[in-house]
Amino acid sequence: MPIELHDLRPVLAPLISALCAGGVFVMGTSGRWRAIWSLAAAGLKFVIVWSMLPGTLAGSVYIFRVGEILPGLSIAFRVDAFGLFYALVTATLWVLTTVYALAYMKGSHALKRFFGFFALCISTTVAIAFAENLFTLFLFYELLTVCTYPLVIHDQDAEARRAGRKYLAYTLCGGAVILAGMLLVFHSAGTLSLAEGGILGDVDDHRVLLLIFLTLVGGFGVKAAIMPLHAWLPAAMVAPTPVSALLHAVAVVKAGAFGVVRVLYDVFGVNLLKSLGFATWLGYLAGFTIIAGSIMALRQNRLKARLAWSTISQLSYILLAASLLTPAAALAAIIHLANQAFTKITMFFVAGAIEHNTGKTHIDQLDGIGYRMPWTMAAFTIAGLSFMGVPLLAGFITKWYLSLGALAADSGGFVALMALSGLLNAAYWLPIIYRAYFRETGIPQLREETPWMLLAPIGICAGYVILLGTGAQAPLMPFSLAESAVRLAFGLEGGIP
Amino acid sequence: MSAAAHGLALVVLVPIVGGALIPALFRRFPTAAWGFALASSALTLAISISLIRRLLAEGPFSYAAGGWPPPYGVALHFDRFGAAIAVFSMITLLVLIFSRRYIPAVVPIARIPLYYALVMINLGGMNGFLVTGDLFNLFVFMEVFSVSAYALVAMARGPQAGLAAIKYLLLGAVSSLLVLFAIGLIFAQTGTLNMADAAGRLDAAASIVPTALALGALTIGFMVKAALFPLHVWLPDAHASAPAPVSALLSAVVVKAGVIGIIRTLQTFSDHGSLQLMPLQSLLIWLGAIAVLWGAVAALVQSDLKRLLAYSTVTNIGYIFIGLGIGSATAASGAAVHIINHAVIKAALFLAAGALIHQSGLRHIDDLRGLGERMPLSALALGVALLAVAGVPPTAGFVGKWQIGLGALETGRPLLMGVVIVGGLLVLTYGVRIINTLFFRPPLHVRVVTSREAPPSMLAAILLLAASSFLLGLAGKPMLDFVAPAILPLTDTG
Repeated sequence: MPIELHDLRPVLAPLISALCAGGVFVMGTSGRWRAIWSLAAAGLKFVIVWSMLPGTLAGSVYIFRVGEILPGLSIAFRVDAFGLFYALVTATLWVLTTVYALAYMKGSHALKRFFGFFALCISTTVAIAFAENLFTLFLFYELLTVCTYPLVIHDQDAEARRAGRKYLAYTLCGGAVILAGMLLVFHSAGTLSLAEGGILGDVDDHRVLLLIFLTLVGGFGVKAAIMPLHAWLPAAMVAPTPVSALLHAVAVVKAGAFGVVRVLYDVFGVNLLKSLGFATWLGYLAGFTIIAGSIMALRQNRLKARLAWSTISQLSYILLAASLLTPAAALAAIIHLANQAFTKITMFFVAGAIEHNTGKTHIDQLDGIGYRMPWTMAAFTIAGLSFMGVPLLAGFITKWYLSLGALAADSGGFVALMALSGLLNAAYWLPIIYRAYFRETGIPQLREETPWMLLAPIGICAGYVILLGTGAQAPLMPFSLAESAVRLAFGLEGGIP
Repeated sequence: MSAAAHGLALVVLVPIVGGALIPALFRRFPTAAWGFALASSALTLAISISLIRRLLAEGPFSYAAGGWPPPYGVALHFDRFGAAIAVFSMITLLVLIFSRRYIPAVVPIARIPLYYALVMINLGGMNGFLVTGDLFNLFVFMEVFSVSAYALVAMARGPQAGLAAIKYLLLGAVSSLLVLFAIGLIFAQTGTLNMADAAGRLDAAASIVPTALALGALTIGFMVKAALFPLHVWLPDAHASAPAPVSALLSAVVVKAGVIGIIRTLQTFSDHGSLQLMPLQSLLIWLGAIAVLWGAVAALVQSDLKRLLAYSTVTNIGYIFIGLGIGSATAASGAAVHIINHAVIKAALFLAAGALIHQSGLRHIDDLRGLGERMPLSALALGVALLAVAGVPPTAGFVGKWQIGLGALETGRPLLMGVVIVGGLLVLTYGVRIINTLFFRPPLHVRVVTSREAPPSMLAAILLLAASSFLLGLAGKPMLDFVAPAILPLTDTG
């Protein structure tokens, strides 16, 4: 059993970013103060979140209870291994995204609003990661929707508004469905705690359990962009690149995937789900999404659109892995939260840098871009290879453990699916790399590297993709955290079989 | 000391007498009426707070007017429902603060004292309605706040206000007649006008028909006052055309009297052996559910901001009645808390909308585009209140909806829970539309560009109410605990 410690840090981490966001809103008209508060929001949180890593690895669980606002509904934070893993990913990426955004958004309009909500988003994301119960999770999950909306429609033109409407329609309906599921859970279990590894053990009615599964997985599935609930994600492409990075890699879609995993492991619990068999269907749907998303990605010419469809496909790796209910697959689900995040954010940063530097947005314009922006495209290549599943890169680790988990679950078909998906990934990433380096343009390419404030985050993320693929077992890498999260969920003692 | 003992009488007398004096005292100095009204409503608030403190220390207590003990004399009774007078007095106080700069712009200067007089008399009527233990006085106080409300609606300029006031008056008069008729029946059956006394004696009455008739008449009469679908038809006109502070009072406070009337009715008849309340409660659930959806859909298609808010009241009254109809401890206490929370939220909505309309001179939603940039605080307050009225957690609107949805599940009505959630989603839809218009669209109208933020007196009221409509959501548990004993007699039937 983990040792529970009462600590201020679980609430301090979201709170301090929220306060800094307040600073942006109050003093953000000045560019300097805006940058200071934004970096403070990201930096302070980064420090606080990382400071909890050694303790959590040693088996402690940090808890902070804010209070009960309705009978049985309390706002409480609890840092367990899985939550901290997600928080580490977001807090780390947030620092990089903030630096990138400060450079990228220079000269845009309504920057006070932009950076204020930007800082609020990270605040709510960490609160989601640390939520002790479903209600707290839901609360900040909805708040995240509210905070990302002004970012999605930042450009305020007709296309942005249309995308924003679609985004809100999907996510708010998803939220309402989660609310229904939450009412059902509370009614049947009398608690919403996520700390017990399953709270629905005493519910006998199969129909109620099915309804809870459909509402909660369906509701969180909206942000995880599982088909057919995915349509908002490609539409939200119109947002500025740092926002796409936020939506696709760090906060929004990951909050959805995180929510689904929490529902599977901490609301239902592994043993109950195994006996119910609902998760199998989720696995099939996720498998379908992986392939269909890839096929859609193949057909896109706009770079950001291809990235968006690839996100849909990649997210379902997490859902598929989580639904297999074997320890190795669960490990794949959790580490893919990080792997996909770092890889995809690299790609978005690159897409933004290309657009920022050259104004090019479509893939068929990218001939020879590798010579104009060599470092940038090198990072892109690393990320692309990682998605294809090339060993020594992050994506391989996911595919390896997912396949192991699928075999352990007697679902060998999913191994073939992994291979097929790897091929499809190659089919849509390699042409871009090919164009960048090997396509003759006839005119000499002048070197025109990305400004360093954009390039540095790109480089760090790409480096991390390599690190995740090679040094995953190193001490203090989040990998060991993922392992202890899996041990908790499955009640294992030793290593992951 | 003696003032404290008579507090229950003073809480009614201070606003009524103070209100009645205003036109006489301030005929020559109309603008000074504001201060006097403010002072007397502050005094009322102070008295009501002292009453609540006594309630918490001693439990429910009574006051015999003139020293005559009930059932012979007129009794005033203070229980946990009566505690609502503190909230209503507070809202009236804030509405008065808001009115200082708003009313001179919409009411001819000579009529300003009349306005303040009517607001105070309205408060007195509400307070009397809430604390009376006597059926006839219930009727009298109901007329006091109703008639003052008709007159307040008519205060606004323009032909619509007059028409709306007449529509309101006609329906209101019919409902008052029904209530009076029912009171007559009850008196004939039991020989008493004391509510507690009558409740005990109704069971012994010889024939059930007059009792059932009285129950029906009371229900329909109060349904009109509460604007429960389908008897809500007077509300959108009246609340949309009245001056903004009056709309705030009507939507936040006055319709709640009808709701409380229904609760008192259900409680009075709940002891009855042979009269079943279940069919009536089922009817209330159905009407409430239709009201939720109808009000939300009707609000979606409105282009006038205040009319939209008026339809949102229809929705929220629907929620309250679903909770009362379910009648379980969870749902009914949720409904009772929602009476208070909706009062705060709706006051915030109407006052914030009033400030936007007053400063820009525009009231169509599309014309208000981009106003959030010019009037950030008022627009922010409106945004927060819109999220609250949609029931987004953890705002005040969430408390009632969660409890009512949970109550629906507890009593085996999963579809009703669906209605509760879908209603909230629809409300959120138009909430987002308004927020979009204010903050994320470029100005369409030249007056938006020249608008300035509302004056401090308006802002103070708006911001306080908007903050409360957020913060009361965090106090859901203590509020539910507070109303639970008062709602219990109702839940015994459920």
